[in-house]
Amino acid sequence: MIYLDNAATTMPDAACVRSAEQFLKDDFYNPSALYREGFAVHKALAEARKAVLSAVAAQGYELIFTGSGTEADNQVLFSAGRRGNVVITEGEHAAVYESAKELARRGEEVRFAKLREDGSVDAEDLLAKVDADTSLVSVIHVNNETGAVNEIARLSSAVKTKNKRTLFHSDGVQAFGKLDVRLPQTVDFYTISAHKIGGVRGAAALIRKKGAPLQPYLYGGGQENGLRSGTENTFAIIQFAEVVKKRMRERSALYAHAVEMNAKLRGMLDKKFFMPLSSETGSPFILSVSAVGLRGEVLQHMLNERGVLVGTGSACSSRNRYSRVILACGVGENVADGVLRLSFFGDESADDIAHAADVLNACAAELYERTR
Amino acid sequence: MEKVIIIRYCEIHLKGNNRGYFEKVFQENLERALKGIRHEIRRPSGRYIVEGFEEERADEIVARLSKVFGTHTLSVAYKVSAELETIYRTVLSIAPQSGTFKVQTNRADKRFPLDSMQMNAEIGGRLLSAVPQLKVDVREPEHILYIDIRENGTALVFGKYVKGAGGMPVGTAGKGMLLLSGGIDSPVAGYMIAKRGMKIDAIHFHSYPYTNLQAREKVEELARILSEYTCGLQLHVVSVTHIQEEIHRLCPPEMMITLLRRFMMRIAERTAQKNGAQCIVTGESLGQVASQTIEGITSSESVVERLPVLRPLIGLDKTEIIEVSRRIGTYDTSILPYEDCCTVFLPKHPLIRPDLAEVEREEARLDVERLIEEALTSAETVAISQ
Repeated sequence: MIYLDNAATTMPDAACVRSAEQFLKDDFYNPSALYREGFAVHKALAEARKAVLSAVAAQGYELIFTGSGTEADNQVLFSAGRRGNVVITEGEHAAVYESAKELARRGEEVRFAKLREDGSVDAEDLLAKVDADTSLVSVIHVNNETGAVNEIARLSSAVKTKNKRTLFHSDGVQAFGKLDVRLPQTVDFYTISAHKIGGVRGAAALIRKKGAPLQPYLYGGGQENGLRSGTENTFAIIQFAEVVKKRMRERSALYAHAVEMNAKLRGMLDKKFFMPLSSETGSPFILSVSAVGLRGEVLQHMLNERGVLVGTGSACSSRNRYSRVILACGVGENVADGVLRLSFFGDESADDIAHAADVLNACAAELYERTR
Repeated sequence: MEKVIIIRYCEIHLKGNNRGYFEKVFQENLERALKGIRHEIRRPSGRYIVEGFEEERADEIVARLSKVFGTHTLSVAYKVSAELETIYRTVLSIAPQSGTFKVQTNRADKRFPLDSMQMNAEIGGRLLSAVPQLKVDVREPEHILYIDIRENGTALVFGKYVKGAGGMPVGTAGKGMLLLSGGIDSPVAGYMIAKRGMKIDAIHFHSYPYTNLQAREKVEELARILSEYTCGLQLHVVSVTHIQEEIHRLCPPEMMITLLRRFMMRIAERTAQKNGAQCIVTGESLGQVASQTIEGITSSESVVERLPVLRPLIGLDKTEIIEVSRRIGTYDTSILPYEDCCTVFLPKHPLIRPDLAEVEREEARLDVERLIEEALTSAETVAISQ
């Protein structure tokens, strides 16, 4: 089986699972407990926090562990989006997009910035939507459907120039651990997640610039400085930290490998059937293509039968038939219907990629024949 | 004081010489519905009594039994010894705290010292003085408190009749093969035919990879809900992918549904005969969609060689079908938005009044027999239990 749906989730790194396993077994104690055993877990957690934070931000930032990227996104939107207007892009992940729509239902003004063809935000349109009343701007770092990279340093700085009181958030779930991420001082909040880079589900984090106003989303025992109550998922968090350390050590090699595999697959796909939607300047970890005129989910089923697992941008469902993000890139429904998302982790073999390309070409040709 | 459940049945008593057979099937169905719950079912005259169960499971038992066809009404009752004082205390324990009421006694045991009227007056009088907020109204009371004095020295006391599923016991009216899609209508058709006592098998057609696994799961869930009424069922799942591709390749696009329906009917008939079903059951309702015009029905029925095709929904409006669907609990599953095989190669303008001769002419382009054989080879059977 060849797994090319790593943007959905990755296989947990087994070595990192092993090294964190003790927190499921012997060191199961509640890190808030005051006896030595609990305190030791608390210290391990502090180490993990430092390791993850230092991989993404310099001095002046802090890290709040959450249960998922969705939770971190929600916390920012519902905390910071409570006055004036909120500006997000049409390419946001559902965790931001649906939160913004909920804010709109509650009476807040939400503005949506347009996308360019590759799925990145139209910077001019974004900035035009920011004004003196804008409380929050949220721009996804790497678009999870097309891999388009938004230049959050430039965008956040331009937003701050226009309104220095506006808070800037970016969902970095598809960027962190894959691209070289260093948060510029103009970014106030940044969301990261473990399970997209070899971690397990249940660990994610919100990186916050110290002093940036933030309300809790969950109230309770006051963990995470009162910003995220709930007993810490120590196993998942420590495994996350292990994964981050490993990714940092191997990052440039994995990145270079992803570039190579992406180019190889892109080159081998039959132009007669597949049209790339991802631009070559996007994240190498995501290659979005459309088998124009064919239906993505049908192709996905055929690929599944032949051992290649991919993501789709369409569904055999009367609701949500097309991806709103892909449509927002300005393509027609026949293109949106055929979208496949091929996503890498960075350790696929060249043979795997060659085989996957053959299977993709064969399935598309066959489906084309069968439904012509 | 023991909690018991009284089951009263419907038309079984109409069946003269067959009565014993109907009652036997009915009791088997009741037993099957209560599988996994400790209980005992007795059959004193004219009714069934469930007893010996854990009291906190009474609601669950009633819920399950109210889906067994043949059940007219049910009551959760207290079984006590037939003594005036005990009966009174039991009635008091279930009596409302305010409003209007009457007591209704049925005295099977004529040796009991008070007759029914005297009993009503005696218990009613005592209740009135014990609960000052209660008033008697014999014409239109808000509450009726029932006392049933049996011949074995016990009395049953209860306050409510719960409506049962009605109909005839499943298994007393032969067996049918239901065409089960993922939609709203076909589960209702299965329900209605089972209500008349017919055992059913279901056949579902899919077109993987054009349809997805969720669509298949949805149909299995519909079959499971239906199976609560049909005493379990066998679901036959058949791929029509290649048939659709061949129609698409060789025939006019507007004939897709018309021709596909003919294949479905043929496959259903063969599967029915192989599994001992004596008819085909569909969820068609006249004029509801293009394939359900009389011409469409003529075209699909003309390929069925030996079995009758029953269409229990033929005269119902969509709103009426939806009403039943909600009541039996299939609606929320039916409206899940997964596509079924009919929408994959859906033509923009399907034929509304297909001409049989023309349909047959177009169909002649296809290797009908080979395609059917191939589809039947793909068939899987899933046992859906209640």
